[in-house]
Amino acid sequence: MSDAFVSLSDLTLAYGESIAVPNLNLDIRQGELIALLGPSGCGKTTTMRAIAGLMPAKSGTITIDGRDVTRVPANKRGIGLVFQSYALFPHLSAFENAAFGLRLQRRPEAEIRSRTQAALEIVGLAHLAARKPSEMSGGQQQRLALARSLVMEPKVLLLDEPLSNLDARLRLEMRTELQRLQRETGITMVFVTHDQSEALALADRVVLMRDGVIEQIGPPDALYNTPVTAFAADFMGFENIFAVEGTSLSSEQGALAVSYSADAPYLGWRPGAVRLGSGSHEARVRSVAFAGGHREYVLDTQIGPVRADVDIAAPVFSVDEAVMFDLPQETAHPLKAS
Amino acid sequence: MTARWPTWLILGLTLTFLIGPFLIIIFAGLSAGNSLAFPPQGLSLKWYLKVFTIESFHASFALSMFLAVFGTLAALVIGIPAAYALNRYDIPGAETIKTAVAAPIIVPGIIVGLALLRYLVVPLDVTITMALFVAHTALVLPYAVRVVSSSLQNLRVDMEEAAILLGCTRLQAFTKVVLPNIRGGVLAAFILGFVTSFNEVPVSLFLSGPGVRTMPIDMLSYMEITYDPSVAALSALLAFMCVAIVFTAEKFLGFSRYV
Amino acid sequence: MFENRREGLALALPAATFTLLVFLVPVAIFLSEAFRFEGSWSLQGYVQFFSEPLNQSVFFRTLRLGALVAFTSAIIGYAAAFCIVNLDGKARGQIFGLVVLPLMISPVARTYAWIVILGRTGIVNDTIVWLGLSDTPIRLLFTETAVFLGLLQLFLPLMIISLVSAMENLPRDVIPAARVLGANWFQVFTRIILPLTKEGLVMGGTLVFTGALTAYITPAILGGSKVLMLETLLYQKVNVSNDFVSASVIAMILIVMSFSANLLLKRIATARR
Repeated sequence: MSDAFVSLSDLTLAYGESIAVPNLNLDIRQGELIALLGPSGCGKTTTMRAIAGLMPAKSGTITIDGRDVTRVPANKRGIGLVFQSYALFPHLSAFENAAFGLRLQRRPEAEIRSRTQAALEIVGLAHLAARKPSEMSGGQQQRLALARSLVMEPKVLLLDEPLSNLDARLRLEMRTELQRLQRETGITMVFVTHDQSEALALADRVVLMRDGVIEQIGPPDALYNTPVTAFAADFMGFENIFAVEGTSLSSEQGALAVSYSADAPYLGWRPGAVRLGSGSHEARVRSVAFAGGHREYVLDTQIGPVRADVDIAAPVFSVDEAVMFDLPQETAHPLKAS
Repeated sequence: MTARWPTWLILGLTLTFLIGPFLIIIFAGLSAGNSLAFPPQGLSLKWYLKVFTIESFHASFALSMFLAVFGTLAALVIGIPAAYALNRYDIPGAETIKTAVAAPIIVPGIIVGLALLRYLVVPLDVTITMALFVAHTALVLPYAVRVVSSSLQNLRVDMEEAAILLGCTRLQAFTKVVLPNIRGGVLAAFILGFVTSFNEVPVSLFLSGPGVRTMPIDMLSYMEITYDPSVAALSALLAFMCVAIVFTAEKFLGFSRYV
Repeated sequence: MFENRREGLALALPAATFTLLVFLVPVAIFLSEAFRFEGSWSLQGYVQFFSEPLNQSVFFRTLRLGALVAFTSAIIGYAAAFCIVNLDGKARGQIFGLVVLPLMISPVARTYAWIVILGRTGIVNDTIVWLGLSDTPIRLLFTETAVFLGLLQLFLPLMIISLVSAMENLPRDVIPAARVLGANWFQVFTRIILPLTKEGLVMGGTLVFTGALTAYITPAILGGSKVLMLETLLYQKVNVSNDFVSASVIAMILIVMSFSANLLLKRIATARR
């Protein structure tokens, strides 16, 4: 608790009368790269905006570096925010965009120049300082937005869906960029995303949210390997999640008798954990797709569609072929209800 | 973003300033007393009713309606082809024509009225009604052209070309394809023209003569000699009429899209 | 299909000829009178007009009030536009509708309301007397203030509309971005909103300024012959003094101002694209 750099305490956020985030508690350590992950409407962006001061808190407190900023207006919190739309100022050059915050503080000209130059260099835009945002590519614009926030040496840097707008190659570049930046500057970073692979790749800790509530917090491997609830497992890509009823698995489509019983209300299998080719149940192959190192199957079973990934070396099954499969107990993940 | 109290304060004050006086007039007209004051002393509909009994208003209202309806129609009749031509063809002197047609909005009304009176009505010995008709048509024409133009711009040329390929003549293509699709714009232009013509003052001021007056001019002279709530009632009624027309247009047409 | 220019010209001709004959020619002749003096071409009309102190004061008053109304409407306009733009969907449409509504009502009705408010037995005077600020009702009508208020009320919606449109086109998130970078609201206004909406401001300002300049009804009703503006002066010259040269001079001034303003607007509109 005492080493928490950013602390959200019983924070409640509402739009008018409807509550978006009830009683949120979250501690973020200094220098941490933390991801707020979840589907749309889960409250992650709302929480981020609240930290920035763009969304008033209905109740609760927000503390940054020991200071209660709950009632402090957005322009005095010492936070950086990189918007999803970048929000660059179209009438200013790249340099002036980046220098904007410093100019507001009326710093001496020499200081403005050196700090802004340094920030532009960190993101690799020094050679484009005179260009207007409209004359830059999407990737460059984002880096400019980043530089603009970094110049201010914020205590916390917030990023709204930083990788969503980028194509695959840029996404990788930006990810590496952000990690490098974080290592070099040690800034506490909070980013918001709906993409679990993004969150897993970047973050030190992942906060999975649902309907304004934290579903699970933990390092990426914890969320990936041991999701606690059915929702978490589903979000993290488990794809085969079924309710347990006695010695049967059940879904909306039907039931599958198995030879074991489980303590948990749900069991989940990653596609790679499904046994295909031999087993006690029969299925029909709905589709098969080549995915490089493995093949992705969708099976029609009594219990509905089941996703199975099989190593590339194994024999191929074709569409409409009947196969045997199992959902083995050894590879099952027990899951709680959400 | 949720609105906070400064927003409501600023908007409240602004709207009070803009609409308040008008509301005051409505209530001043409801006064049961005999003098024009607010708050009114008691409520009564008698002044609103009185308005309907004044003879000259019948005539001036009829005239204003006539001008508004037929003047706008005339403006549309020559305006729609002009808008079509300006939009689809590359006419020599298009810019000049556009400026010329838009001119009546730019030139202050008084000048127009005066000029028409001295150099059209008097020398050509035209009747006042005819002069008013011609003047109102000219005043509405720019609106007609502008609104219909904007509708036409949103209508792709491909449609007419497709119609012709399917066998239509140019005229048929126009009536079967273009007109139905700019119907909303035409209607919007009509309503805009109607309101403009009906509320018009400066031009009509000069052109009106004894016995032949538009409603606003009649109102003005009535205001000069009368100082009782019936004036307020009259203003309120006319305003209601215009608002009602525009409001219905918005409800049924989404009028604001075209303006 | 549209290469036949003659055809196009033919379609546009009725409207063009109509406007020419009915409108442009009479107005042109009228304006030419400003350049005639006692039967021959000269600028004497202008000289004589401007040498009269009454005319001078009316001229400057008109400019002054026009500028004042434009300036005030800009300030109120920005405040109102900012509020409107921050409202959610339904409320925004409704409030905006209420702002635009007065434009549909006859200027006569809108101006007349001020008589009820500012008259001797009007609300303002009643309140003043009731509060004990004065023993007798003070003269509020037929003053520059009355004309100013009337004109402001008439043209403010135009400015608001213009500014709302400009502000809706601000890039997303630009204002929160400036806030997070440390800007207070004044800085947000001067460094972000103003530069990015200046076209809307000029458009609205021009509309309001020209409107105020060429207004007739409001100065006539609220100013009478005590507070003359250019258009009411024109009316007087024609109906009272039969001085058509002066009338024409005034007309020329008004048209020049109006046309220049319009050219400016067009320049902005095309530059934007």
